[in-house]
Amino acid sequence: MVHPAPRRRSFFQSELWLHLALIAVALFSVLPLWWAGVSSLKDSPRVFRDLSPFSWEALLPTDPSLDAYIALFTKTNFGRAMANSAFIVIATIAGGLVVNGLAGFAFAKFRFRGKEALFLLVLITFMVPFEVIAIPLYILIQTLGWVNTYYALIIPAIPNGLVIFLFRQLYASIPDDLIESAKIDGASWPTILWRIIVPLSKPASITASLIIFVYQWEVFLWPLIAANTPDLMTIQVALSLFQQEYQTLWDRLFAGIIVSVLVPLLVLIPLQKYYVQGIATTGMKE
Amino acid sequence: MITLARRERFVLYIMLGPAILGLLLFKVWPIVVAFWQSTLSFDFRRQATVFVGLRNYVEILTDPIVRDSAKVTLVFNLIINPLQVMLSFALALLVVRPVRGVGVYRSFLMAPIATSVTVTSLLWGLILNPSFGLANGLLSKLGIPPQAFLTSPSQALASIILLATWRGVGYWMIFFLAGLNDIPQTIYEAAAIDGAGRWSMLRYITIPLLKPVFAFVLVADTAINFLMFAPPYVLTSGGPMGSTNLLMYEAYTRAFTYLDMGHGTALTSLLILIVLAIVLVQLRILRAHSSD
Repeated sequence: MVHPAPRRRSFFQSELWLHLALIAVALFSVLPLWWAGVSSLKDSPRVFRDLSPFSWEALLPTDPSLDAYIALFTKTNFGRAMANSAFIVIATIAGGLVVNGLAGFAFAKFRFRGKEALFLLVLITFMVPFEVIAIPLYILIQTLGWVNTYYALIIPAIPNGLVIFLFRQLYASIPDDLIESAKIDGASWPTILWRIIVPLSKPASITASLIIFVYQWEVFLWPLIAANTPDLMTIQVALSLFQQEYQTLWDRLFAGIIVSVLVPLLVLIPLQKYYVQGIATTGMKE
Repeated sequence: MITLARRERFVLYIMLGPAILGLLLFKVWPIVVAFWQSTLSFDFRRQATVFVGLRNYVEILTDPIVRDSAKVTLVFNLIINPLQVMLSFALALLVVRPVRGVGVYRSFLMAPIATSVTVTSLLWGLILNPSFGLANGLLSKLGIPPQAFLTSPSQALASIILLATWRGVGYWMIFFLAGLNDIPQTIYEAAAIDGAGRWSMLRYITIPLLKPVFAFVLVADTAINFLMFAPPYVLTSGGPMGSTNLLMYEAYTRAFTYLDMGHGTALTSLLILIVLAIVLVQLRILRAHSSD
């Protein structure tokens, strides 16, 4: 008996259809960034010539040059905005690891009254998206006199429920004996923290740093309202302004887009494992 | 668990203090500020800020612009959240099997994650540009006439759903991938021996076991999409004809464009209440899951 069915089944069982689906989805994910990348290597007249009427050359790097990138860093304040964002990222990571790491340790290892309630506070604060309190936070920052200062961009971002949670998860797996025996040997708390706890903190520190980095690199609404001066402008705010300023200089816009994506990508790709584990486990596991 | 001696209590305060005070000051206190400010209004005759009780709320809730904005936000969320959940689950199913080159595919799918919502908006604004955009260029090759996209009242919201989904699904896919990897392979092997096909395994094993992941992703995604701000700010200013005037953008324009803090914070307070309700659902899901 000759049946067409087994043939068809073997097609579906072969991995061909899977690869076709994967290629289609991967193409859709990457095509916008690919287009931005190749266009950033052309000059604006060329970008427009390839687009209207549309020719496939719009998707190919023809006569690539870095002129748009040079213009981006010499003729606009993009470099300054990038440095601002980098500074804010580094300062928030430095403060965030210390402040939230210590709190995570206290939640993981100490018995104290009101712990449940305080931990609920931690959970709720990381589930409430920041955007919703941005407007009233501005009123508070105004009272503190921090509008248009780096303080406004850094300090409110340091206490972070998600990072406390991450550290608590890590420290909960450290046996109490390790700490108690050091205590019996006469070690002080700073010694215990520095000699025993800090060396064990690497995985959570990397994950937390990545989460803080992505957050501060991408944050938009808060710097837009809290520190919107040319000197303090962050990378996202600068890019959102470019769109109005450089309506005819698309090569420059594309170059800015590519730089803003490349920086986190270069950090995330080698450390992907930590980032993915971090966001997946904080989502699902208590 | 370690119990600190009385003379060592200060260790606890030093370790916990900065974080807890910081959370209270920068995350909780603003909520109090929002509710307090929302009861105030500037009286031009008396040239002073006066207490007006719930008047700002009444005015906000009866304002036709806010009502339209609420409608837009509702439609946006009713479409984008189920869409993103389904697509990110489908993507996770595609890349969970160890086919050749799966690592490369996974990295491609995650590339949009490195693109912020702001930059996504900017990039898709260029893609969807009616005269020079890539989208109309590709459509022209298929013989389809150019579309207005973000400049059309009937297409603008759909365009924002498209760009937000492009950016979001790779992120939510990570949660489904983690969930799929937690399902023991032996369950599938046993089902295969019983003669179960691929679809019935999906229907009777995978989806039921991933129920907590579905619930978590749906709720967490909703909390984020509910407060979507950058696309209307960067691309449409809420237009054309209010068709993309999402509530967070409306709250922002009230507070910072019209400098009307009373109504801006009244609207914000309502958003806070809705988000807190979403978060409570999220907490229940986490609790139910962790007590398994």
